[in-house]
Amino acid sequence: MEKYLNQGIKPLIEQFPVLGDILNKYDIGCTDCTGGSCLLKDVVAIHNVSPQIEADLMYEIEKAIYPERDVVKRVVTEQDLQEKKELKYSPPVKQLVDEHSLILRWLDLVEDVLAYIQVDSEQAWQWIAAGADFSRNYADKLHHSKEEDILFTYVDQSLEIIQVMYEDHDHGRSHIKQVYKAVENQDVELAEKHLLAYRALLREHIKKENEILFPWMDRNLTDTQVGQLFAQFAAVNAELQVDEKYRQFVLEVEDKLKKQVS
Amino acid sequence: MFNPGGGCPGARMQVFGQQSETGQEEQGKRVSQLRQWPVQFHLVSPQAPYFQGADLLLSADCVAYALADFHKDYLKGRGLAIACPKLDHNQELYVEKLVQLVDDAKINTLTVMIMQVPCCSGLLALAKKALSQAQRQVPVKAIVVSLQGEILSEEWV
Ligand SMILES: [Fe+2]
Ligand SMILES: [Fe+2]
Repeated sequence: MEKYLNQGIKPLIEQFPVLGDILNKYDIGCTDCTGGSCLLKDVVAIHNVSPQIEADLMYEIEKAIYPERDVVKRVVTEQDLQEKKELKYSPPVKQLVDEHSLILRWLDLVEDVLAYIQVDSEQAWQWIAAGADFSRNYADKLHHSKEEDILFTYVDQSLEIIQVMYEDHDHGRSHIKQVYKAVENQDVELAEKHLLAYRALLREHIKKENEILFPWMDRNLTDTQVGQLFAQFAAVNAELQVDEKYRQFVLEVEDKLKKQVS
Repeated sequence: MFNPGGGCPGARMQVFGQQSETGQEEQGKRVSQLRQWPVQFHLVSPQAPYFQGADLLLSADCVAYALADFHKDYLKGRGLAIACPKLDHNQELYVEKLVQLVDDAKINTLTVMIMQVPCCSGLLALAKKALSQAQRQVPVKAIVVSLQGEILSEEWV
């Protein structure tokens, strides 16, 4: 089994097509993935499934590869369950998760801001412009560059999941470019199209990071690396100094829209 | 009833049975992972070269006796200071030294190891106080060790 754990998932699925079905059954959609350079062991480790599901999944995979073998399912211990119970991030990773929370708060406002064009168009366009600035300078320049230039350098960047993160960031950038264009021309349709696509993309992206990628990375970082990451992030924060400004922005839009509704 | 520690759970007398999980004597010798002297917190200097940019381990005195793999798993690669939050005098000096270690020696991380007895958490409180006074921030990890040498918890605070 060891030798299969160290093989790429795509060729394995080609060799044992039933593996694709098994992974799909467990919501690990490797069959739709465009790349497929992940190793089987990474696929299982990265997806951060519960210990019981991991035991079931590994049993089914081994059984599919060796149908004639008397495969024994791993027994899940109380300790396994305890360890997996809650997601606890190291301080630098927690910082990224907190930034996600602010980004999500803005994404939650997007639809109401678009609708506000009908109420007070000048104010709404001002928010959309400020939101594009938030996306570019907070979500991208501050947050994504902490991920791309710092965090991701601690793992093998050719990993499928890291490549997908880079692609998502790129797609986000192109949506925001179009939002800027929409602001310039006060083009409601264009703004709506790209803001909603950006929202869907980032919500999905953040979920992948919070629930799968970050816990996996955290499990593999040494304490020394945690300290180094923390210091590197602190240097970026000190250089850009944008956190407070954008926190205020999100708070202000939340506040004004809430008042409008009530 | 004979109770030399009075009402304090941290000083209550207990006797543990013989423990040898495998039932075999351990073979071989291990090397010490200590790379400095002194180690007592009143005696160490924050300016010492082995603290500069280091991962600092602030350990309660009793930890190293309870935890069999202290050297291999926790001391290795770290600068060390030991203290007893229950008995040591002048603990304000500890706070000051920690602030210097964070701000001037620019330690990379701080790991605080304590015993499970209630009074030992004073060492963690002391570390938090120092962090609240320091200009810099560093990740702090708290590790709690049971009287019989198991790791009860290990988490970033
Ligand atoms: Fe990301
Ligand atoms: Fe992110």
